[in-house]
Amino acid sequence: MQLDTNMRILIVDDYATMLRILRNLLKQLGFENVHEASDGQAALKQFETNKYDLVISDWNMEPMTGFDLLRAVRSNPETAATSFIMITAESATENVIAAKRAGVNNYIIKPFTSEILQGKIETVFQQQVA
Amino acid sequence: MSAAEAIDSPMIDQREELEARSDNAIPLREVIAMAEKVTSALKPLVRSLDKSMYRELKEMLDCIEELRGDLSKVDPDDIFSRRIPEMGRELSAIVSATEVATNSIMNIAEQVMDADKSDPATYAKFVEQHMLAIFEACTFQDLTGQRVTRVIQTIEVIEERIEVLCRMIENNQITPNAPRVSDTEKRNRARLVKGPANEGEGINQDQVDAMF
Repeated sequence: MQLDTNMRILIVDDYATMLRILRNLLKQLGFENVHEASDGQAALKQFETNKYDLVISDWNMEPMTGFDLLRAVRSNPETAATSFIMITAESATENVIAAKRAGVNNYIIKPFTSEILQGKIETVFQQQVA
Repeated sequence: MSAAEAIDSPMIDQREELEARSDNAIPLREVIAMAEKVTSALKPLVRSLDKSMYRELKEMLDCIEELRGDLSKVDPDDIFSRRIPEMGRELSAIVSATEVATNSIMNIAEQVMDADKSDPATYAKFVEQHMLAIFEACTFQDLTGQRVTRVIQTIEVIEERIEVLCRMIENNQITPNAPRVSDTEKRNRARLVKGPANEGEGINQDQVDAMF
Protein backbone atom coordinates (compact mmCIF):
# COMPACT_ATOMS: atom_id res chain seq x y z
CA MET A 1 0.00 0.00 0.00
CA GLN A 2 1.32 3.45 -0.99
CA LEU A 3 1.08 5.90 1.87
CA ASP A 4 0.36 9.55 1.22
CA THR A 5 3.68 11.04 2.29
CA ASN A 6 2.13 14.49 2.18
CA MET A 7 -0.29 13.70 4.99
CA ARG A 8 -0.33 16.16 7.88
CA ILE A 9 1.21 14.60 10.95
CA LEU A 10 1.24 16.13 14.43
CA ILE A 11 3.90 14.73 16.75
CA VAL A 12 3.42 15.41 20.46
CA ASP A 13 6.11 14.92 23.10
CA ASP A 14 7.42 17.00 25.98
CA TYR A 15 11.01 15.96 25.21
CA ALA A 16 12.48 18.11 22.47
CA THR A 17 14.95 15.30 21.75
CA MET A 18 12.13 12.84 21.15
CA LEU A 19 10.36 15.30 18.86
CA ARG A 20 13.60 15.67 16.92
CA ILE A 21 14.10 11.89 16.66
CA LEU A 22 10.50 11.42 15.49
CA ARG A 23 10.76 14.25 12.99
CA ASN A 24 13.94 12.76 11.50
CA LEU A 25 12.55 9.24 11.41
CA LEU A 26 9.41 10.47 9.65
CA LYS A 27 11.55 12.49 7.27
CA GLN A 28 13.55 9.35 6.43
CA LEU A 29 10.26 7.54 5.82
CA GLY A 30 9.32 10.31 3.38
CA PHE A 31 6.92 12.35 5.52
CA GLU A 32 7.70 16.05 5.25
CA ASN A 33 4.46 17.61 6.50
CA VAL A 34 5.23 17.11 10.16
CA HIS A 35 4.15 19.49 12.94
CA GLU A 36 5.13 19.49 16.59
CA ALA A 37 3.53 20.13 19.99
CA SER A 38 5.08 19.86 23.43
CA ASP A 39 2.05 18.39 25.29
CA GLY A 40 -1.65 17.64 24.97
CA GLN A 41 -2.79 21.20 25.57
CA ALA A 42 -0.41 22.61 22.96
CA ALA A 43 -1.62 19.94 20.52
CA LEU A 44 -5.28 20.82 21.10
CA LYS A 45 -4.44 24.48 20.50
CA GLN A 46 -2.94 23.54 17.15
CA PHE A 47 -6.09 21.57 16.31
CA GLU A 48 -8.05 24.82 16.60
CA THR A 49 -6.41 26.19 13.45
CA ASN A 50 -5.14 23.07 11.68
CA LYS A 51 -6.39 19.72 10.49
CA TYR A 52 -4.24 16.64 10.88
CA ASP A 53 -4.41 13.20 9.32
CA LEU A 54 -2.37 11.55 12.03
CA VAL A 55 -1.34 12.30 15.62
CA ILE A 56 1.68 10.50 17.07
CA SER A 57 1.75 11.21 20.79
CA ASP A 58 3.65 10.35 23.93
CA TRP A 59 1.58 9.43 27.03
CA ASN A 60 3.39 10.96 30.00
CA MET A 61 3.39 14.74 29.52
CA GLU A 62 2.70 17.79 31.68
CA PRO A 63 0.25 19.44 32.00
CA MET A 64 -1.92 17.34 29.64
CA THR A 65 -1.12 13.69 28.98
CA GLY A 66 -1.33 11.94 25.64
CA PHE A 67 -4.18 9.85 27.03
CA ASP A 68 -6.20 12.98 27.82
CA LEU A 69 -5.33 14.37 24.39
CA LEU A 70 -6.64 11.15 22.81
CA ARG A 71 -9.94 11.46 24.70
CA ALA A 72 -10.23 15.15 23.78
CA VAL A 73 -9.56 14.42 20.10
CA ARG A 74 -12.11 11.58 20.05
CA SER A 75 -14.78 13.60 21.86
CA ASN A 76 -14.67 16.48 19.39
CA PRO A 77 -16.70 15.67 16.23
CA GLU A 78 -14.33 17.80 14.14
CA THR A 79 -11.24 15.82 15.15
CA ALA A 80 -12.76 12.46 16.12
CA ALA A 81 -11.75 10.77 12.86
CA THR A 82 -8.07 11.70 13.16
CA SER A 83 -5.78 8.67 13.32
CA PHE A 84 -3.94 8.43 16.60
CA ILE A 85 -0.82 6.43 17.48
CA MET A 86 0.53 6.39 21.01
CA ILE A 87 4.31 6.06 21.37
CA THR A 88 5.15 5.54 25.01
CA ALA A 89 7.20 3.82 27.67
CA GLU A 90 3.94 2.98 29.48
CA SER A 91 3.83 -0.76 28.93
CA ALA A 92 1.37 -1.90 31.60
CA THR A 93 -1.48 -3.94 30.13
CA GLU A 94 -4.09 -1.66 31.73
CA ASN A 95 -2.58 1.35 29.92
CA VAL A 96 -2.84 -0.35 26.54
CA ILE A 97 -6.40 -1.46 27.30
CA ALA A 98 -7.36 2.05 28.48
CA ALA A 99 -5.88 3.61 25.35
CA LYS A 100 -7.63 1.09 23.11
CA ARG A 101 -10.94 1.74 24.82
CA ALA A 102 -10.38 5.49 24.39
CA GLY A 103 -9.97 4.92 20.65
CA VAL A 104 -6.25 4.79 19.92
CA ASN A 105 -5.48 3.29 16.50
CA ASN A 106 -2.15 1.79 17.46
CA TYR A 107 0.32 1.66 20.30
CA ILE A 108 4.12 1.65 20.13
CA ILE A 109 6.29 0.90 23.13
CA LYS A 110 9.56 2.81 23.53
CA PRO A 111 12.29 2.12 22.52
CA PHE A 112 11.15 1.54 18.96
CA THR A 113 12.67 1.38 15.49
CA SER A 114 11.78 3.26 12.33
CA GLU A 115 10.50 -0.04 10.88
CA ILE A 116 8.01 -0.39 13.74
CA LEU A 117 6.89 3.22 13.28
CA GLN A 118 6.47 2.75 9.55
CA GLY A 119 4.64 -0.54 10.09
CA LYS A 120 2.16 1.02 12.51
CA ILE A 121 1.48 4.02 10.27
CA GLU A 122 0.82 1.63 7.38
CA THR A 123 -1.44 -0.56 9.54
CA VAL A 124 -3.48 2.44 10.69
CA PHE A 125 -4.10 3.67 7.16
CA GLN A 126 -4.77 0.17 5.81
CA GLN A 127 -7.47 -0.22 8.46
CA GLN A 128 -8.98 3.08 7.38
CA VAL A 129 -9.10 2.01 3.71
CA ALA A 130 -10.64 -1.33 4.70
CA MET B 1 2.13 -5.76 107.78
CA SER B 2 1.94 -3.85 104.50
CA ALA B 3 3.67 -0.50 103.98
CA ALA B 4 0.28 1.25 104.04
CA GLU B 5 -0.71 -0.47 107.31
CA ALA B 6 2.67 0.45 108.80
CA ILE B 7 1.85 4.10 108.18
CA ASP B 8 -1.83 3.98 109.10
CA SER B 9 -1.51 2.29 112.50
CA PRO B 10 0.74 4.81 114.38
CA MET B 11 -0.98 7.71 112.66
CA ILE B 12 -4.42 6.54 113.84
CA ASP B 13 -3.11 6.12 117.40
CA GLN B 14 -1.60 9.57 117.32
CA ARG B 15 -4.78 11.13 115.95
CA GLU B 16 -6.95 9.50 118.61
CA GLU B 17 -4.55 10.72 121.28
CA LEU B 18 -4.69 14.27 119.99
CA GLU B 19 -8.49 14.24 119.70
CA ALA B 20 -8.77 13.10 123.29
CA ARG B 21 -6.96 16.22 124.50
CA SER B 22 -9.22 18.96 125.91
CA ASP B 23 -6.92 21.87 124.98
CA ASN B 24 -6.10 22.59 121.36
CA ALA B 25 -2.46 23.51 122.00
CA ILE B 26 0.04 20.87 120.85
CA PRO B 27 3.53 21.12 122.24
CA LEU B 28 6.40 21.28 119.77
CA ARG B 29 8.04 18.12 121.07
CA GLU B 30 4.84 16.18 120.38
CA VAL B 31 4.74 17.53 116.83
CA ILE B 32 8.37 16.47 116.36
CA ALA B 33 7.62 13.06 117.88
CA MET B 34 4.69 12.66 115.49
CA ALA B 35 6.84 13.68 112.55
CA GLU B 36 9.45 11.13 113.60
CA LYS B 37 6.79 8.43 113.81
CA VAL B 38 5.50 9.35 110.36
CA THR B 39 9.02 9.33 108.92
CA SER B 40 9.90 5.95 110.37
CA ALA B 41 6.53 4.55 109.27
CA LEU B 42 7.10 5.81 105.74
CA LYS B 43 10.61 4.39 105.48
CA PRO B 44 9.65 0.86 104.27
CA LEU B 45 7.24 2.32 101.72
CA VAL B 46 9.79 4.84 100.44
CA ARG B 47 12.41 2.08 100.28
CA SER B 48 10.13 -0.22 98.24
CA LEU B 49 8.99 2.65 96.01
CA ASP B 50 12.60 3.68 95.59
CA LYS B 51 13.63 0.24 94.34
CA SER B 52 10.75 -0.22 91.86
CA MET B 53 11.02 3.37 90.58
CA TYR B 54 14.76 3.00 90.20
CA ARG B 55 14.26 -0.23 88.27
CA GLU B 56 11.68 1.39 85.97
CA LEU B 57 13.78 4.50 85.45
CA LYS B 58 16.82 2.35 84.69
CA GLU B 59 14.83 0.39 82.09
CA MET B 60 13.61 3.63 80.52
CA LEU B 61 17.13 5.00 80.45
CA ASP B 62 18.48 1.82 78.84
CA CYS B 63 15.71 2.01 76.25
CA ILE B 64 16.48 5.67 75.49
CA GLU B 65 20.20 4.86 75.24
CA GLU B 66 19.49 2.01 72.84
CA LEU B 67 17.18 4.23 70.76
CA ARG B 68 19.82 6.98 70.71
CA GLY B 69 22.40 4.47 69.54
CA ASP B 70 20.12 3.19 66.78
CA LEU B 71 19.11 6.68 65.73
CA SER B 72 22.74 7.71 65.44
CA LYS B 73 23.20 4.79 63.04
CA VAL B 74 20.30 6.11 60.89
CA ASP B 75 21.86 9.60 60.83
CA PRO B 76 18.93 11.37 59.13
CA ASP B 77 20.92 14.61 58.82
CA ASP B 78 23.49 12.88 56.67
CA ILE B 79 20.74 11.39 54.48
CA PHE B 80 18.76 14.59 53.99
CA SER B 81 21.50 17.20 53.91
CA ARG B 82 24.17 15.30 52.00
CA ARG B 83 23.26 11.99 50.38
CA ILE B 84 19.87 12.78 48.81
CA PRO B 85 20.96 16.18 47.39
CA GLU B 86 24.13 14.51 46.08
CA MET B 87 22.04 11.82 44.43
CA GLY B 88 19.84 14.52 42.84
CA ARG B 89 22.94 16.27 41.48
CA GLU B 90 24.29 13.00 40.05
CA LEU B 91 20.97 12.26 38.33
CA SER B 92 20.74 15.80 36.95
CA ALA B 93 24.26 15.43 35.60
CA ILE B 94 23.26 12.15 33.93
CA VAL B 95 20.22 13.78 32.32
CA SER B 96 22.30 16.71 31.13
CA ALA B 97 25.17 14.53 29.81
CA THR B 98 22.81 12.29 27.87
CA GLU B 99 21.00 15.33 26.47
CA VAL B 100 24.26 16.92 25.27
CA ALA B 101 25.42 13.63 23.74
CA THR B 102 22.08 12.97 22.05
CA ASN B 103 22.02 16.44 20.56
CA SER B 104 25.62 16.08 19.31
CA ILE B 105 24.84 12.73 17.70
CA MET B 106 21.65 14.04 16.11
CA ASN B 107 23.43 17.15 14.80
CA ILE B 108 26.01 14.92 13.14
CA ALA B 109 23.35 12.60 11.74
CA GLU B 110 21.45 15.56 10.29
CA GLN B 111 24.62 16.92 8.69
CA VAL B 112 25.36 13.52 7.12
CA MET B 113 21.78 13.18 5.88
CA ASP B 114 21.87 16.65 4.30
CA ALA B 115 25.39 16.33 2.86
CA ASP B 116 26.05 16.58 -0.89
CA LYS B 117 26.37 13.03 -2.22
CA SER B 118 27.35 13.95 -5.78
CA ASP B 119 31.07 13.32 -5.22
CA PRO B 120 31.38 9.87 -3.61
CA ALA B 121 35.01 10.36 -2.49
CA THR B 122 34.32 13.69 -0.75
CA TYR B 123 31.10 12.30 0.73
CA ALA B 124 32.89 9.21 2.08
CA LYS B 125 35.56 11.36 3.75
CA PHE B 126 32.87 13.64 5.21
CA VAL B 127 30.94 10.69 6.60
CA GLU B 128 34.09 9.13 8.07
CA GLN B 129 34.97 12.35 9.89
CA HIS B 130 31.46 12.65 11.27
CA MET B 131 31.35 9.02 12.37
CA LEU B 132 34.40 9.71 14.53
CA ALA B 133 32.58 12.63 16.09
CA ILE B 134 29.70 10.26 16.93
CA PHE B 135 32.15 7.95 18.71
CA GLU B 136 33.45 10.94 20.67
CA ALA B 137 29.94 11.93 21.68
CA CYS B 138 29.33 8.36 22.89
CA THR B 139 32.02 8.70 25.58
CA PHE B 140 29.29 10.15 27.81
CA GLN B 141 28.31 6.57 28.58
CA ASP B 142 31.46 6.00 30.67
CA LEU B 143 30.78 9.07 32.82
CA THR B 144 27.08 8.37 33.26
CA GLY B 145 27.97 4.77 34.19
CA GLN B 146 30.18 6.03 37.00
CA ARG B 147 27.52 8.44 38.18
CA VAL B 148 24.88 5.71 38.19
CA THR B 149 27.21 3.54 40.28
CA ARG B 150 27.50 6.35 42.84
CA VAL B 151 23.71 6.72 42.96
CA ILE B 152 23.36 2.97 43.52
CA GLN B 153 25.87 3.15 46.39
CA THR B 154 23.90 5.96 48.03
CA ILE B 155 20.66 4.01 47.66
CA GLU B 156 22.36 1.03 49.34
CA VAL B 157 23.37 3.24 52.29
CA ILE B 158 19.81 4.55 52.63
CA GLU B 159 18.50 0.98 52.38
CA GLU B 160 20.77 -0.11 55.26
CA ARG B 161 19.54 2.74 57.42
CA ILE B 162 15.91 2.04 56.66
CA GLU B 163 16.62 -1.53 57.75
CA VAL B 164 17.92 -0.20 61.10
CA LEU B 165 14.73 1.86 61.46
CA CYS B 166 12.58 -1.17 60.66
CA ARG B 167 14.40 -3.19 63.34
CA MET B 168 13.82 -0.37 65.83
CA ILE B 169 10.13 -0.32 64.99
CA GLU B 170 9.95 -4.11 65.37
CA ASN B 171 11.79 -4.18 68.72
CA ASN B 172 9.85 -1.31 70.24
CA GLN B 173 6.57 -2.46 68.73
CA ILE B 174 5.97 0.99 67.35
CA THR B 175 3.10 0.92 64.89
CA PRO B 176 4.34 2.61 61.76
CA ASN B 177 2.08 5.09 60.04
CA ALA B 178 0.55 4.06 56.76
CA PRO B 179 2.95 4.80 53.88
CA ARG B 180 2.52 8.40 52.76
CA VAL B 181 1.46 8.78 49.15
CA SER B 182 2.97 11.92 47.65
CA ASP B 183 0.92 14.34 45.54
CA THR B 184 2.96 13.40 42.46
CA GLU B 185 2.24 9.71 43.09
CA LYS B 186 -1.49 10.41 43.50
CA ARG B 187 -1.52 12.47 40.29
CA ASN B 188 0.40 9.83 38.35
CA ARG B 189 -1.97 7.10 39.54
CA ALA B 190 -4.93 9.14 38.32
CA ARG B 191 -3.18 9.75 34.99
CA LEU B 192 -2.24 6.05 34.65
CA VAL B 193 1.41 7.10 34.51
CA LYS B 194 3.87 4.44 35.64
CA GLY B 195 6.90 5.14 33.47
CA PRO B 196 9.15 2.61 31.76
CA ALA B 197 8.80 -0.95 32.96
CA ASN B 198 11.79 -2.84 34.33
CA GLU B 199 13.18 -5.95 32.67
CA GLY B 200 10.55 -8.68 32.78
CA GLU B 201 7.73 -6.32 33.71
CA GLY B 202 5.02 -4.83 31.51
CA ILE B 203 4.21 -6.13 28.05
CA ASN B 204 6.28 -6.08 24.86
CA GLN B 205 5.44 -4.79 21.39
CA ASP B 206 4.34 -8.23 20.13
CA GLN B 207 1.85 -8.54 22.99
CA VAL B 208 0.57 -5.03 22.28
CA ASP B 209 0.22 -5.89 18.59
CA ALA B 210 -1.83 -8.95 19.51
CA MET B 211 -4.23 -6.67 21.39
CA PHE B 212 -4.78 -4.58 18.27
